[in-house]
Amino acid sequence: MRAARSANQLRSTRVALLVWTVLILIFLYLPIALIVIFSFNDSALNIIWRGFTTRWYAAVFHDAPLMLALRNSAMIATATTIGATFLGTLGAWLLHRYGFPARRALMALIFFPMIVPEIIMGVSLLLLFSATGIGLGFGTVICAHITFCFPFVMVAVAARLEGLDPSLEEAAIDLGATPIGAFLRVIVPYLMPSIIAGALMAFTLSIDEFVVTYFTASAASVTLPLKIYGLIKPGLTPAINALSTLLIVATIVLVGVGEFARRLSSGSTTIK
Amino acid sequence: MSEAIQASSDARRASMRAWLMLSPLLAWLLVFVIAPTAILVVYSFLTGGEFGEVRWRFTLDNYRAILHSIYLVIFLRSLFYAAITTVLCVLAGYPAAYFIGRSPARWRGMLLLLVMIPFLTSFLIRAYAWFIILRQNGVLNSILEASRIIPTIFPHRIELLYTPVAVVIALVYAYLPFMILPIYGSVEKLDESLLEAAADLGAGPIGTGWRVILPLTWPGVAAGVLLVFVPSVAMFAVTSIMSGGRVTLIGDAIEQQFGSGGNIPVGAALGVALLALFLLSALLVQRRRA
Amino acid sequence: MKHVFVVIAIFLTALFLTSCSKHRAPAAELNLFAWSEYVPQEVIDGFQKETGIKVNYEAYDSNEAMITKLSQNPCGYDLVQPSEYAVENLIRRNMLSPIDMAQVPNIKNLEPAFRDLPYDPGQKYSVPYMSGTTGIVYNAATVKTPPTGFADVFVPKNKGRVVAVNDNREIVGWAFDVLKIPLNDVTPDNLAKARPLIQSWLPIVKVFDSDNPRAPLLSGDCDIGVVFGGDAAKLYEQDHKFKYVLPAEGTHQFIDNLCIPVGAAHKSAAHQFINYILRPEVSKIISDEFPYTNPNGEAKKLLSTSQLENPASYPKLEHSEVFHDIGPASQKITAMMTELRGG
Repeated sequence: MRAARSANQLRSTRVALLVWTVLILIFLYLPIALIVIFSFNDSALNIIWRGFTTRWYAAVFHDAPLMLALRNSAMIATATTIGATFLGTLGAWLLHRYGFPARRALMALIFFPMIVPEIIMGVSLLLLFSATGIGLGFGTVICAHITFCFPFVMVAVAARLEGLDPSLEEAAIDLGATPIGAFLRVIVPYLMPSIIAGALMAFTLSIDEFVVTYFTASAASVTLPLKIYGLIKPGLTPAINALSTLLIVATIVLVGVGEFARRLSSGSTTIK
Repeated sequence: MSEAIQASSDARRASMRAWLMLSPLLAWLLVFVIAPTAILVVYSFLTGGEFGEVRWRFTLDNYRAILHSIYLVIFLRSLFYAAITTVLCVLAGYPAAYFIGRSPARWRGMLLLLVMIPFLTSFLIRAYAWFIILRQNGVLNSILEASRIIPTIFPHRIELLYTPVAVVIALVYAYLPFMILPIYGSVEKLDESLLEAAADLGAGPIGTGWRVILPLTWPGVAAGVLLVFVPSVAMFAVTSIMSGGRVTLIGDAIEQQFGSGGNIPVGAALGVALLALFLLSALLVQRRRA
Repeated sequence: MKHVFVVIAIFLTALFLTSCSKHRAPAAELNLFAWSEYVPQEVIDGFQKETGIKVNYEAYDSNEAMITKLSQNPCGYDLVQPSEYAVENLIRRNMLSPIDMAQVPNIKNLEPAFRDLPYDPGQKYSVPYMSGTTGIVYNAATVKTPPTGFADVFVPKNKGRVVAVNDNREIVGWAFDVLKIPLNDVTPDNLAKARPLIQSWLPIVKVFDSDNPRAPLLSGDCDIGVVFGGDAAKLYEQDHKFKYVLPAEGTHQFIDNLCIPVGAAHKSAAHQFINYILRPEVSKIISDEFPYTNPNGEAKKLLSTSQLENPASYPKLEHSEVFHDIGPASQKITAMMTELRGG
């Protein structure tokens, strides 16, 4: 009797939870859905649906300032990814391999930009550049992006390092490799899936970064988020919707690739 | 955070070469983390002059201004909004996180991904979508009018845009995934046998939830609270747009000083105050964990 | 390992190369720092096409923001667009570079009234871009009694229906107009007098926006606004139901100018741009897009009658003041407004 009642209670609870989760997902995706839907709207204003068209997707590529912003974002993200991957991998490896004194202090410094509110990062970097007379531009934005992206790479790589068999490196050295050679020829290939995952994370973060970029960019280095911010008040044309849809699709693809890489890297361990 | 990267079991003592290899990283941290923060602190003690001018005269006036005036109100308001956002995120996110965490293993990854994907797309664009939804002639009102809810239940169109409600919606929207993820992490680790035991002892779903599940998933909730509360205190730009410039939060106040306010030292002092607040809460969390 | 350091060395060099230096400024570029919604894309495209100079357009929404950012990044901008009082401020602080008028022959196209204005004696540092007024715009379809002044706008029945520009100096100016205080007499006493009035006004405003105050009026979120004339004119062009009224209590006229900052890296390109927008056909494009009061007499000949008759573009100004640089007193405005608006 009691078992039947609690089985019923359990089922209705689960149904309630399912409904709630679906509602949450609707909440999360409603704006995205609207953006996608209105990208096919045959009207210059994002207000009423007038008809289906794909002309905005063509318009995206003819909108020179928009394409420029996209190009800037891509360039910055690429440079950021390279720098962040380098620093992050290096850092993860060195901290794993060697016992440095003041380890905790070092960690705190490394993760500081990642967890500190972005506006503080943005403002303090602006002051750094203006106090030292370094003009704002691509260089300053890239440095800012690398600073808060590389901890993410570091975490990804460090997670994989935990599973590293220390004897691998020893074996390589026994066979005649220098420590650096061992690193490059044995460790890095092992780490590659996590490096890729971290790099993808850095790229995605850089492309969408707004706050810190707001303070460290110049007119020449306008990124896509900055451009969109500037267009929010005048009103985004459906061309922006189209671009956003493309970016969303691209992000999903990137995430898919990253997931694939991650699954590869933890292929030998059971996935929870 | 130091647990994030463990040293390997046979980590050697750092040799000269190791230090040399670490030096790029150290140099980077020095230039782009330590130096900016130090400059921020130094500037907070300088004096502002004309717009954007910084005079090398040391003073405590900026901090006095913060403590004795509207900035204190703005700080408190930001904390208030962050608190509301956090509570809403917990209430909204917990059931969803629980559901995902207790789903069959093959669904979990996909559901989680579904939750995370919006986060990976540009927040500005999604926030703008809320504009479209909440405007007077926006999607929400259109739906309400089309379904005749507006003349019958609500007499007029609903005004949500340019109100504090819009700000909260934007904040919750931005940070909900940050709440769901850690709670999911805790839920996932729940031991099935504990729940069974509770059921065997006669507890219904609600009793089990209250007495067993909630306490066990508390670490996840705590992590989520931290991940949501701290960043939402400092959000600017979007919150300003959503409120029509009427709700000033600390992020807006700092940004203003670097713009139309023109008093850089006050802006720096506000930044330092926010930083101090943040470091304090981080320390408190570390204490509780240890 | 050596490679790593080489990479870092290159990287750091590249970083420092992007810093402020007139000598190795990259080739054909122009960093334009102007008001948002003020320089048409068509004009920028036309200039780029003709000269091959790439224009980077960054926007701001208040003179104060522009001055602050220019102070923080003095070599980052080649052209700025200050209003008359901001020109005074920048000249006083030696932040502007004189304009070589020989490189700007088209300046002859400006009407005589816009040559050698008081804020820039001898017209050495500025070239007028557009002029205008701040006034009241209202949706005649929903606002039955036309407002005549600020007193009609900031009443409790309009609560939540008003949009105002996000400009502290402006808002204080309106209060001063109502209280019959001269606009530039910004003393602590006068500010104290204006304070309770402004405090009563603020809750009535629904949106503060200088970038695009048209949007809430178009979307129906607001029926009345105190906005810049060009925005009202654009609304009028779209729909004659949006009417513009100069406040009876008083108003001010503003003149926005193009100026070259001292640290500009591309001064020649800056001169070329100024000369370019002074062409009648180019200036007409600006008027088409942003219908403010055009100071270019030759361009006005190209405008249509409806454009010249737009009451918001070319209002009948009987008496109006002009903002002047008030130096440190502007910080007092900021402090008071931060308090009132933050509360």
